[in-house]
Amino acid sequence: MKQEDFNILVIDENPDRAAIVERGLVEGGYARVSRIGTSFNLVERIQALAPDIIIIDLENPDRDTLEQMFQVSRAIARPIAMFVDQSDHNMIREAVEAGVSAYVVDGLRQDRIRPIVEMAISRFGAFDQLRRERDEAKAKLSERKLIDRAKGLLMQEKGLSEEDAYNLLRKNAMKQNRKIYEIAQSVITAFQLEF
Amino acid sequence: MPLKQVRLGFVPLVDCALPVVARTKGFAEEENIDLTLTREMSWAAIRDKLSYGVFDAAHLLAGIPLASRLGLGGVPAQRLVVPMALGRGGNAITVSIRLYQRMLEADPAAMHGPRGLSARALKKVIDEDRAAGRPIMSFATVFPFSSHNYELRYWMASSGIDPDNDVNIGVIAPPRMFDSLRNGWVDGYCVGEPWNQRAVFHGDGAIVALKDDIWSRSPEKVLGVREDWALSNPDTVDALVRALVRSAEWADQPENRTELAQLLSDENHVGASFDILRASLLGRPILKPGGNPIDAPDRHVFYRYTATFPWLSQGAWVGRQMQRWGQVDASVDFNAVISEIYRPDLYRRAVAGLDVALPRDDWRVEGLNDAADRALVGADAFLDNSTFDMRNAAPIAAAGAADRVVASDT
Repeated sequence: MKQEDFNILVIDENPDRAAIVERGLVEGGYARVSRIGTSFNLVERIQALAPDIIIIDLENPDRDTLEQMFQVSRAIARPIAMFVDQSDHNMIREAVEAGVSAYVVDGLRQDRIRPIVEMAISRFGAFDQLRRERDEAKAKLSERKLIDRAKGLLMQEKGLSEEDAYNLLRKNAMKQNRKIYEIAQSVITAFQLEF
Repeated sequence: MPLKQVRLGFVPLVDCALPVVARTKGFAEEENIDLTLTREMSWAAIRDKLSYGVFDAAHLLAGIPLASRLGLGGVPAQRLVVPMALGRGGNAITVSIRLYQRMLEADPAAMHGPRGLSARALKKVIDEDRAAGRPIMSFATVFPFSSHNYELRYWMASSGIDPDNDVNIGVIAPPRMFDSLRNGWVDGYCVGEPWNQRAVFHGDGAIVALKDDIWSRSPEKVLGVREDWALSNPDTVDALVRALVRSAEWADQPENRTELAQLLSDENHVGASFDILRASLLGRPILKPGGNPIDAPDRHVFYRYTATFPWLSQGAWVGRQMQRWGQVDASVDFNAVISEIYRPDLYRRAVAGLDVALPRDDWRVEGLNDAADRALVGADAFLDNSTFDMRNAAPIAAAGAADRVVASDT
């Protein structure tokens, strides 16, 4: 079995995620992987690339366009069906939950396509994880900035030491059962109101 | 009593109004439903998320449950059911300003006559292009199995245009339609509001036919749920239908339409400008840039005229169009398929006890009505004055394009 025989096309509006999926496939031994973002001449580009398998993010609005193209049989040489094995309900469900959809030309053996779809699912999952971590890090950073700014205002306006300012924020957070950065936000708002 | 969570997906269009109203005006909560709304940018995504359990319910094109049941378009077959419709109206055919000018010059009489017949002017433009050896024009609809696709084709075919050969008809997701027209990638489209009004307001397009110019009672979006979910959650289905029917009643009151425009303009809902949404929702659409608003009181019908009832004959008409345009083999018995998908029995069960006008039968002869019928279902006429009787519809042969085009009466 020669994996490099497959011509795989990755379509994703998110270039970072597309790159992660592409790298995974290439490292897995699939040499013929191309990727495109969104484009208005999608149909022509797909016809030119003639992929065996298309991996596309589930929410991509281009899917509506693609499905019509697959439905009008004269537009493509070989019929294309969605997902791997229509009887494999759990596999499809897993793909949908991960945000992956796959279109496969008719006649390809299911067992040879399955690892490609599984690779895409796991790479989408990894990307989501990375994005979540990045968002959390960003949120943490802005929380710290809020706390620093509230501390600064308390020091400047109320003559508190840095330690006292922080303890005041923390005490109020505990008393009100809220997060420290939320109290900091309230403090900043309150000082802004005074002017 | 704890709230029952229902996850519902919708596409940003004016007719996502009922779920949005059910959520924001408290009608869902009154039925003990915690309705979670998710905005989706494509019909394929919403179909898949409903089919594989990410959503419990969805705002769907009427053709999607039919296509899913038959496994059309290379998509795994799914058993979805339709316990109610989500209102009527809202679609229109918009063409680029350039094409609009050409249509006006080619056939001013057709362009100033009944809007449903404006395709006669398009036919003349197509004939001019053909004589001059120019490439054929491109039009777009929102999905292969959409009422938009069938309305655009009906409008064209009634004036002798063959939609499969005289023009290209492609598919573009609704939120991308406007840019495609503006950038000249398509010459016209059929889409739901606000994407027609938006082209007019921005000076990029003109509306040549409204949905009710083509068929005044034509069906639009439906509520779709999985059959197994409906079977195992009958009380939730009833509660959801009731909440949406009560939302429809609210949304149909003229005094609530401005507030509705405000609700829909929210980025999490439709996210179009308030002015555009209000013009459409008040039944005062503007058809061409710089034009005056026209009176179209039935532009969006959410409740009156049995607009939420899942009429078998409306589903059958959609199935008939699928056969007419070769999407489904002529041998498929759509009346049998429809009676498994469209579930007026679920609707009747849910609204029993509410003061909701119900028809005696679950089907009717479409395109035909007298005064008494008009009071119940509203005006009903096809642009070519034809009728559709699902019980006596002659089989459509898998014919060549020429046979599928209704001869023009000119």
